[in-house]
Amino acid sequence: MQSDLTFDKEGFLTSLELWDENVASSIAEKEGIQLTKEHFDVIYLLRDFYQKHEVAPANRPLVKLVKTQISEDKGNSIYLMTLFPESPAKIGAKIAGLPKPPNCL
Amino acid sequence: MTKNILVIQRTAPYGSSLAREGIDYVLTSAAYDQNISLLFLGDGVFQLLGKQDSKGIQLKNQLSALEVLPLYDIENLYLTEEDLAERNLSKEQLGLSVNIISRNDVHTLIAKQDHVMGF
Amino acid sequence: MNVSLLILSEPYSSQSSLSALKYAKAAIEAGHGITRVFFYNNGVHTGSSIQTPQQDEINVQQEWKSLALEHKLDLVICIAAALKRGNLTLDEANRYDREQYNIEAPFELSGLGQLLDAQLNSDQMITFA
Repeated sequence: MQSDLTFDKEGFLTSLELWDENVASSIAEKEGIQLTKEHFDVIYLLRDFYQKHEVAPANRPLVKLVKTQISEDKGNSIYLMTLFPESPAKIGAKIAGLPKPPNCL
Repeated sequence: MTKNILVIQRTAPYGSSLAREGIDYVLTSAAYDQNISLLFLGDGVFQLLGKQDSKGIQLKNQLSALEVLPLYDIENLYLTEEDLAERNLSKEQLGLSVNIISRNDVHTLIAKQDHVMGF
Repeated sequence: MNVSLLILSEPYSSQSSLSALKYAKAAIEAGHGITRVFFYNNGVHTGSSIQTPQQDEINVQQEWKSLALEHKLDLVICIAAALKRGNLTLDEANRYDREQYNIEAPFELSGLGQLLDAQLNSDQMITFA
């Protein structure tokens, strides 16, 4: 991993502008997740959403977003939990190189 | 238990942080299954103006944040025609679709709520 | 009746900060319960324990502290609004590698969900803006 990357104590990237797919993979690895195309579909969805709205979505809006932007059958929390266990919004944001969603403290 | 909550946004988007932190509260509350409506009152209507560009003042775009409301199942947005007219604004200048009501109807809107709070 | 207070204004800058304190005292005196006092927006500065007013001025943090200790009030400061404005507990200072902290019990930092919770569990929420 690049040496100029910086993280907070919970492992969220603080040098947001240095994010790339390799950075995503190494953050994911620390979470015990091996990234696949399905992960990256959600990761880029999160990044596009953040770029447009400057806020990382909470779990339920994320489900709705996946349903409308990726596919109907993937728009459910069970599917997202298999990709990003525990909290898809929080873990997804972490791997996507976004700030921690507010109130996920 | 789902309650009807009306959040009244009374300030212009960038002069203070109230508008932004008000929306932060709305987005948080939406995660708890409440029936939330928003009333943009007085200078609060400026938050809905289209074509906002806040990059130059290094603040997050308020309209971009408001655009996520439907995704959070918040569909009931209101403002009064009097507030628009008094600021020489027309509904064509707004960046989001909202319910335009008469100032006389504000009390009816408030009467329907279990809780009302203002930012 | 059970009330909650939402305090949005800074101590020493705004009359409403003092009005909130007076309101809380009056409500308690009148026999009402206070479910929670929630500090948000510029109100998050209320809990700073290093505020140092002149000796002939009221110390707003101390006033809330003694009222809270006497009547077991729940004083909650919005964590996101507090952190960005430099109001940290020892735990948060450690979490974010900061050398100083200025928020101590009975004040606590918590999420905005606590504001909604206060609203849902009170008969009235009074906002001091």
